[in-house]
Amino acid sequence: MKCLLIASESAEVLFHWTDPEYQQHIQEQYGASQEEGQGLPAFEDSISTLFAPIIISCSTMVDRLGDSYTSFTTENNHIYVLHQFDECLYIAVNGDGEEGEDDLRRKTYVMKKMIEVLFGMVTLSSYLLRRELRPQDTDQRARLWKHLQSLLETYSHLRENDQSFLVEAVERLIHPTLCEQCIEFLERRLVQQLNSSVERAGEEVLHAFILVHTKLLAFYSSRNASTLSTSDLLTLIIMAQNMYPSDVDHDDPAPEDVESTSGSGPESFYTPEPSPTDRDSSSSEEKPVRGSTPVFEFVDPDIQMAEDSLQTLEVPPPDPSTPHRVFLEVSLKEGLYPMMPHSMYCLPLWPGITLVLLTKVPTSAVAMSVYKFLEAFAKLEKRLSEGQEGSAATRGQPTIHDVRSKLDKFIKALGPSEIQSAQLQNVWTEFKNRAFARGGPGFNRDLIPWCKNMKTQLCGIYRQCFLIESGPTDIPRRLSPGLQERAQTMVQEKLMDWKDFLLVKSKRNITMVSYLEDFPGLIHFICVDRSTGQMIAPSLSITERATSELGKGPVAQFIKRKVWDLVSTTRHYLQKGYSTVTLRDGDFYFCYFLWFENETGFKLEAGDIPVLPDDSAPIGMLAWDYYRKLLRYYSKNHQGEVVKCYELLTVHLGVIPTEIILQHCRQLASKLWEPSRNPLL
Amino acid sequence: MAELLPPDVRRCTYFFLYDGSKVKGEGDRTREGICYFYPEETPLDRQELLCGQLAGVGRCVSELSFSPVRILRLRRNKFAIRMKDDFFWVSVDAAGPAADFQDGSGFVSSEYESVMVIQRIYLCRSFQALGCSVEVPIVSVCELLDQLIDLFCFYNGSVRQSYQLSSQEFLAARWARYLSHLQSGSSELHHIFSCLRTIDSTNVDPLLLLKAALILQACQRCPLVLAGCILFRGRVVSTQMCPELTMKVMVHESETYTKTPAAHCSSGPFGGAVSSVTVFLTLSELQYLQSAPVNKHLSSESTPQKETPRRKTRLSRTLSDMPSTDSDPSDRGSLQSPQLESFSPQLSDSSVFSPVPSHSATDPLHPPTQPLQPPFSNGKHSSEAEDEALEEPSYYHSFHSNGGDSQTDASVFEENCQVLNGGGDGGGDGGGDGGAACGTVFDFREAANDESHDGKEDGCRSAPEPPRPPHCGAFDDPEQSQLVPMTLYLHRVKGLVLALLVEPLFLSDTASMEEVYHSSLASLNGLEAHLRTVAPGAPGAPGPYVFAHFDHIQSTLTTNLSGGPGGAPERPFVRATSLLHSHFCNTETLQEAIIRSAGAAVYGTRSVAQETYFQQHGGSFRNSGIPNHQDSAFSLPGKARHRLLKHGVNLL
Repeated sequence: MKCLLIASESAEVLFHWTDPEYQQHIQEQYGASQEEGQGLPAFEDSISTLFAPIIISCSTMVDRLGDSYTSFTTENNHIYVLHQFDECLYIAVNGDGEEGEDDLRRKTYVMKKMIEVLFGMVTLSSYLLRRELRPQDTDQRARLWKHLQSLLETYSHLRENDQSFLVEAVERLIHPTLCEQCIEFLERRLVQQLNSSVERAGEEVLHAFILVHTKLLAFYSSRNASTLSTSDLLTLIIMAQNMYPSDVDHDDPAPEDVESTSGSGPESFYTPEPSPTDRDSSSSEEKPVRGSTPVFEFVDPDIQMAEDSLQTLEVPPPDPSTPHRVFLEVSLKEGLYPMMPHSMYCLPLWPGITLVLLTKVPTSAVAMSVYKFLEAFAKLEKRLSEGQEGSAATRGQPTIHDVRSKLDKFIKALGPSEIQSAQLQNVWTEFKNRAFARGGPGFNRDLIPWCKNMKTQLCGIYRQCFLIESGPTDIPRRLSPGLQERAQTMVQEKLMDWKDFLLVKSKRNITMVSYLEDFPGLIHFICVDRSTGQMIAPSLSITERATSELGKGPVAQFIKRKVWDLVSTTRHYLQKGYSTVTLRDGDFYFCYFLWFENETGFKLEAGDIPVLPDDSAPIGMLAWDYYRKLLRYYSKNHQGEVVKCYELLTVHLGVIPTEIILQHCRQLASKLWEPSRNPLL
Repeated sequence: MAELLPPDVRRCTYFFLYDGSKVKGEGDRTREGICYFYPEETPLDRQELLCGQLAGVGRCVSELSFSPVRILRLRRNKFAIRMKDDFFWVSVDAAGPAADFQDGSGFVSSEYESVMVIQRIYLCRSFQALGCSVEVPIVSVCELLDQLIDLFCFYNGSVRQSYQLSSQEFLAARWARYLSHLQSGSSELHHIFSCLRTIDSTNVDPLLLLKAALILQACQRCPLVLAGCILFRGRVVSTQMCPELTMKVMVHESETYTKTPAAHCSSGPFGGAVSSVTVFLTLSELQYLQSAPVNKHLSSESTPQKETPRRKTRLSRTLSDMPSTDSDPSDRGSLQSPQLESFSPQLSDSSVFSPVPSHSATDPLHPPTQPLQPPFSNGKHSSEAEDEALEEPSYYHSFHSNGGDSQTDASVFEENCQVLNGGGDGGGDGGGDGGAACGTVFDFREAANDESHDGKEDGCRSAPEPPRPPHCGAFDDPEQSQLVPMTLYLHRVKGLVLALLVEPLFLSDTASMEEVYHSSLASLNGLEAHLRTVAPGAPGAPGPYVFAHFDHIQSTLTTNLSGGPGGAPERPFVRATSLLHSHFCNTETLQEAIIRSAGAAVYGTRSVAQETYFQQHGGSFRNSGIPNHQDSAFSLPGKARHRLLKHGVNLL
């Protein structure tokens, strides 16, 4: 009973996702209110009709009360969480008690993050984003929504089952020698070779990393690349998982099981698709997501409007060598640029092991310019709407005249290309007439709509440059398929002897067994380095077949549940400013600590932690980097020092005396990072 | 970041009652449907906006989820909601536990308002939910709303009927009065726990409490008297009723205390000192009050299984239901192996939180209450209890020999224990040793030992207003079950009031009335004189620590916090308490917690019957936050145990 809906202010559905139960629920709902003898309307129509009053009331409240709904809870414990991002209203619903308010809020933020990674700065213009999320063409819309839906499902699945997505930090495979070798290999051989090849078509590989399931084996960034933020990295892992899901937690025989890897090829990895045309036999590289995840049995009978649309849903799969356009944050010396275009190449090595390449597109300078202009207009608009006029509104960096000359040049440079910039040109001319002309209205409130218009036009340019599939005249701008294949083969050769080991290792990265002797009574722990966004935890994989140290069946499930609950509880306390929490709950004793250190490992004094309201953004690193803000907040009092932030969660048996438990925690905190202190990012 | 703004001292910033049945057609204006809106000075268009939008959206969500909305949050406000629309009402009843709840006949005859389609939404808003002010947990906001509605029904009967019989203005005054009573001058802690105000019994001679209990008992000799309570200056001295009922009775008392008897009160033949007013009890309340004391536990079994996760009385009920002590050993066996239950996730997770617990689901609810008790608590408690019993043996024995008939004895004793416990001599433990002292009647109590207070709770909780689970649960709504008119008889002696719930016949039965009046008059005068001279206990000396101790069963709070709103140094404590309280409410199995922010470390612990919060002042908590067993925060449990003993709080 889960649902996520994105709607515009006019109650137009921009995206929806429901699980089968909720879909049925909606249909029953709608069926009840329908006249006898009428067939059920399209699902999209039902859901939009049912939610419309809520959406409309929401905007009324914003308009008239300046406040908006954040959640509803009904007596049968259905939870609705609402959040407005710009002009898009996100509504997440749970009716089965599996998710709490925080989980739902997190889901909406994650959805927004994924949309940002997929659409970049287009998200800054509600008008364009609306069109982007809801293409006129119904086939295109169905395709896009399916893609987003499956991303959301992949995320939900990971959040429910993978500890690194529970705490939103990257988990590395702990094998220092191999990791080091691989990093060296990526640096000296792979990236160097790729970047010196002529077949790269102007693209430059910035980052390369190897994933074993969701865990990171090696990560290399080229020298002139900016660091990849944890938030982006986690999102990319979700995307890679979405393309090549590892069915670790499903009951059906998982092919990445050690025994089967030798025998069966890629065919056995993907559950065959129900659809007839979507599949060509050799395609281990195309996106098998579309229908392969069993959860995603979403062939809903209603969204197909007519016979013909059934066909068009199965358009020939995109060329597997086509990269994915992703928009990632880039921090350069001169500043932070969000949502800069990159290409993502996801090359499967073996089932469960993937090589990911991130390249810089040759035209990315355009994106930077657009961002700077957008920022300038946004600032101007803000000042104008605050009531400042004239020079007061235009002060600041860069000066408005600077912007003017740069934008003139920018438009001029766009002229000869096939990008349609006439509209931008017109609006800009009009803007200049109003703002700069002698005797014209100048900088006052009347200019606000023109600022908005300029922003929309700039986003439009950005969209044309980076979002639209390259036109017919274009030579494909990407690493050539041959080059991709070579990269794939190289890494495959390198890891051939290791692959079985890696697949096992990824499931039992570190195990509790090795800690039992030193820490009697310890059941589980998670340690997170928030400054680098990495975590360590004993494996907690619970499948039907494999047993973990926790045993199998209900006890293991129960402890897993406890760990998940503990994380959400401590987040709640952290949100309210509590950085140390210990709980005696049933037969367990839980501890949570957050602390700061400087670079040399010296423990810094605990500072005030901001107290946030209930509906603030979820605490984590995936959708909204709480810890980055926390570090910035804390560093204010530690100028000139590199501040690091750590978190430790432990689960002990309740019979262990508290002093011993605390000693354990202390030892864990000081020991844990030692064996693996090799640089990751 | 913290402690910037003192929170609004009002507990509730909005409250309204909206009748959707009056606004149906296109032309109907929203204002037609507004029955009452608080604060009354709110501009009408704002009232309309809030009522219209919230009612509309609430209705829409309810239809989507097939269930009424309970909580609605805006970014800056949170609202507890109760909405009833016949259509929902019926369907909810069918699914929820409330359906099985009355024993047959009573429920069938309850008033189905099937003629009118009424949609009512009650709303109230808590503090501004600014990040830096103390946030009253949503649990408490819901509780406040339910209290308010129950109060209204207690004095006026069903909401629908009252609006048919009386004018809006008249009822608006009523609502306003109840609201102001519920919000009146208590501290934020009181709001968080929604507790009764009692006299500070640490300063009062226990014999006075005994005397009060005896007065009540004596009144009960008249068969028309159901139960009573004695109040002194707006605080409870002794009560025979459950906290919810006592709370309702107190409203009227405080009203007459401040004013002359209101118009609707009929003066008796005894002048201004005695008055009476019609009140409405729900069937289960009445049933409980009417049942013979010794049968209360038995009858409580037939009362609704609307157990809430918070009130953990099930096990003791099982025990006390046992007519003989034979089966005790086995029960104790299960009692002492809490691991079993706490390890099974489906018990502690799903069934407890199942939003609408079905009737059959209540039995599985028993086990999960277990892990709450520390496995070793039994032994310690009993020894503790014996010690206490030894301290005041004469008291108990004299009392025991006083009663004569074992049946009345039982009930009185029970009351007495309650009162004494309210005095803070260790929460509910007194009940345990009382049982031991009393001999056979209480044998099962002794077996249950520290659960003994549950036995009492049983008695009380079988009344129909157990606080609901915070987010869910069907209401045991006074309006759903039949309301029976009864009479509240008040006899005032200066600051002291004897309040009795009596059968309506009582008023016409002059002989009974005179007997009750004369038999109690002298004792009341004496009690009043004594209580008056009791020094109003030193307002909790601001010691090196603060604590709050909440007794679930009697709904009382003991604290050394001065109580004035907005005391800056106390703010961290109140905030932590509020957070921990809602965590305790939502997590069945949680027993204790220490939470620390940069400035304060607070320890919270709870057992079946009580919650205790403790913070040590001084001693800088500045540290690195890294785990360290020498950290002073982790010595809080030990300190709390020692320090609080002298306040009568036993955490052992």
